[in-house]
Amino acid sequence: MKKFIMIAAGVLLMQYTQAQTTIDRSKQPAPGPAPVISIKDPATFKLSNGITVLVVEDHRLPKVTATYTIDAGPVTEGDKAGVLNLMGSMLNEGTKTMPKAQFDQSVDKMGATVNLSSSGGFTSALTRYFKSAFGLMGLALKEPAFTQESFDKLKSQELTGLKSQAKNAKVIASRVTNALTYGKHHPDGEFETEETIQKLTLQDVKDAYAKYITPSRGYLTITGDITPADAKALANGVFGSWKGAQLALEKLPEVPLPAKTEIDLVDVPTAVQSEINVVNLVDLKMNNPDYFPALIANYILGGGAQSRLFMNLREKHGFTYGAYSQLTASRFQGTFDANASVRNAKTDSAVTEFLREIDRIRTEKVSDEELANAKALYAGSFARGLEDPARTANFASSILINHLPADFYKTYLQKINAVTTDDVLRVAKKYMNYDNLRVIIVGSSAQVLEGLKKSGYPVNLYDKFAEPVTAAVQK
Amino acid sequence: MSIRKNIFCALSAFSLFSLNARGQKVAFTEYDLPNGLHVILHDDHHAPVVAVSVMYHVGSKNEVAGRTGFAHFFEHLLFEGSENIKRGEFMKIVSANGGSNNANTTQDRTFYYEVFPSNYLQTGLWLESERMMHPVINDIGVKTQDEVVKEERRQSFDNRPYGNFINTVARDLFRVHPYHNGVIGEMKDIDAAKLDEFKEFFKQYYVPNNAVLTIAGDIDIAKTKGLIADYFGQIPRGADVVYHKAEEAPITKEIIDTVYDANTQLPLIAEAYRVPGRDTRDAQVMQMIASILSGGGSSRLYKKMVDDKKDALQVLAFNNSLEDYGMYIIGALPNGGASLASLLSDIDEEVIKLQTDLISQEDYEKLQNQFENNFVNANSRQLGIVENLANGYTFHHKDTNEVNEQLTVIRSITREEIRDAARKYLNANQRLLLYYLPGKGKAK
Repeated sequence: MKKFIMIAAGVLLMQYTQAQTTIDRSKQPAPGPAPVISIKDPATFKLSNGITVLVVEDHRLPKVTATYTIDAGPVTEGDKAGVLNLMGSMLNEGTKTMPKAQFDQSVDKMGATVNLSSSGGFTSALTRYFKSAFGLMGLALKEPAFTQESFDKLKSQELTGLKSQAKNAKVIASRVTNALTYGKHHPDGEFETEETIQKLTLQDVKDAYAKYITPSRGYLTITGDITPADAKALANGVFGSWKGAQLALEKLPEVPLPAKTEIDLVDVPTAVQSEINVVNLVDLKMNNPDYFPALIANYILGGGAQSRLFMNLREKHGFTYGAYSQLTASRFQGTFDANASVRNAKTDSAVTEFLREIDRIRTEKVSDEELANAKALYAGSFARGLEDPARTANFASSILINHLPADFYKTYLQKINAVTTDDVLRVAKKYMNYDNLRVIIVGSSAQVLEGLKKSGYPVNLYDKFAEPVTAAVQK
Repeated sequence: MSIRKNIFCALSAFSLFSLNARGQKVAFTEYDLPNGLHVILHDDHHAPVVAVSVMYHVGSKNEVAGRTGFAHFFEHLLFEGSENIKRGEFMKIVSANGGSNNANTTQDRTFYYEVFPSNYLQTGLWLESERMMHPVINDIGVKTQDEVVKEERRQSFDNRPYGNFINTVARDLFRVHPYHNGVIGEMKDIDAAKLDEFKEFFKQYYVPNNAVLTIAGDIDIAKTKGLIADYFGQIPRGADVVYHKAEEAPITKEIIDTVYDANTQLPLIAEAYRVPGRDTRDAQVMQMIASILSGGGSSRLYKKMVDDKKDALQVLAFNNSLEDYGMYIIGALPNGGASLASLLSDIDEEVIKLQTDLISQEDYEKLQNQFENNFVNANSRQLGIVENLANGYTFHHKDTNEVNEQLTVIRSITREEIRDAARKYLNANQRLLLYYLPGKGKAK
């Protein structure tokens, strides 16, 4: 080893003297030729009960992972809010034939991971243990023990957990933002409370299981040190004869936007920062031609650490550690959400800057440079993403779930490249609202309310559960 | 940009073990430039990706009294630009070329990185060499980043439930060692610092002879060496970095502390022990003990307290392993109004069991599998590989190959050694007992 290092250093010294004059530090170096990106399709097949199986073979590391995902879409829980979550936890509490302690011991002794949730399961194991770990994941999904003792334990943990999060400004902000944006009776707006959890019974969990844990709309992805033939045999062995309820996506009512832009404030007196979310709903499916310009528009506004929101609120003003935006494309109503955690004293100024940036991207074309940079970022992150062997399987399942053309990801970069500054302006106007959005703030009312009132927008007060607070109560 | 959360730091160190089985050995080439910069290269052509990183051997433990937070502040400052990169352009250049980048700071080192499509290798070298050669350190940069870091402190510590937990443990476990201060530091120290002090700190620590340049991914090794010489060769060597470890006297009497956190409603009880630094065999033994106590549903504390007695919502045991010492922390959050005293006695019972009885052969095999699994996952991305290689060189006496040897070490640790380490380090008179309570109380 040492000898080799010496030789290497010698070679280096020669190159060092020879190359000294060739670089120009004043300019960014030109890139080399772009690497060729190839996307290999995963092996795909269906089991007789309808489960779609995707297999990506990758033998670099001696491990295999499997993910089972049930595409149930958003589900309304109503007065049983929290039941799906609890049911998912119950799947980790042992099986009809294996008490939890034995199940956990079996998983841990292989150094493996097996996790179940209300939307399916995940397992990862060294190659030599994968078959066993995969079998345990299947067993937990198909034959959960569902004991009263486990139920009581998890219920009490859930209640303690809720209590522990009661003053967490981030948790409150996320709950209130969803509730106000979607309404409390929508699957994306409803939330669990102490009351809803208290009322849940073991039978509720069993009912939810019977309805939602099923081969119907199921996707099984197996990635790693395994051949498609072996994966197929395993999948058939564990899930082939499994039966369950037929799933259909819920029909959701269209949620309206607020008539005019408003500020909604939740008081958390202990907060040292305000959580700000500037939000409106959007209807944007991935197979909509607006999808690619919308990705670019959001990126330029707030997708990263060089986007406008970050450069303005953090680098120019120092209001925050970071400011970002997200635009969710979905089969269902998604959101445009621009957000930051901002110190109390600068909350109103930050709101002004958020709205200024949103107005700007809606009314002025982005520069050619911004557009080119955003395209380069997408090209690069697409290439970087291929480091993850599961990526191609995710592409394949996304094509199926979102009804995309078969070449959606193969032509992804072409479509990104075709976006123009006019496209960006058009979609920004369409999906990022200015006159009818919600500015939801969770923070210390005593320190931020007066400043916010000066904005000219109506300021509505809410409690931590998104209930309106009347002025009399609030004083 | 982001300050590394200490808890995660411990977890990532934990997942770093190796095995000489198929496909897992990380092959590398290493050498020094004449200016002292250590270079480590690893090629892997599976995906068109390259990770470029520089690890500077400077962290909060290099700070002097009254100037805490300097190292982390520098992490921010060194994104402000250079002689050839205008203010605000650094991150823009990265993303405009399809890359991603970030940096983080611990008590011991500062780590900067870019991940690019592999045809932008040269851009990564240019950026990192500009940062090392001639960054712009001026008043406007200091002023802006001062505000940003204060917001980071609020977001990551003061407004986050349990956000000041690890800093409290450090403050109590270390009396003379600068680990006492934590990474983020005191805001007033940065406020009080003069521009010249920042420039001086840079000159002292951000020199090639105190850094490791590690590159992994879709690269041509010979070509890369040439480029590295071009970009980094001109940077002058600095004075040798002098660091003297402050020796802590052993703790001989239990320290009891109570702190309050207005962001929480659920108390946390923890015991913390000072253990040897990350280059020691005992540090590995302590990682194994952490796994026995809280790694997985069948671990001793989890099974007993969360599943059987149901008096804990969560249990934790980890070795926050640092260069000079480690902070070994065991703790629990109560469920359904259980008393902290009962949680404490549950934890202590298990510690005493470890000190008294050897773990079973079955538990021992479980540990081996868990550590093997962790290792296989640790080097699955180029970014993970560059950091693991740089860690080996920086913290294991220039033994970069440590990344490939760790599982061998783990396999050689006996059940007796596990018992003996518990006996040696986990005694009540050597610990901090910390009551981390909800609400407002005396602020320390």
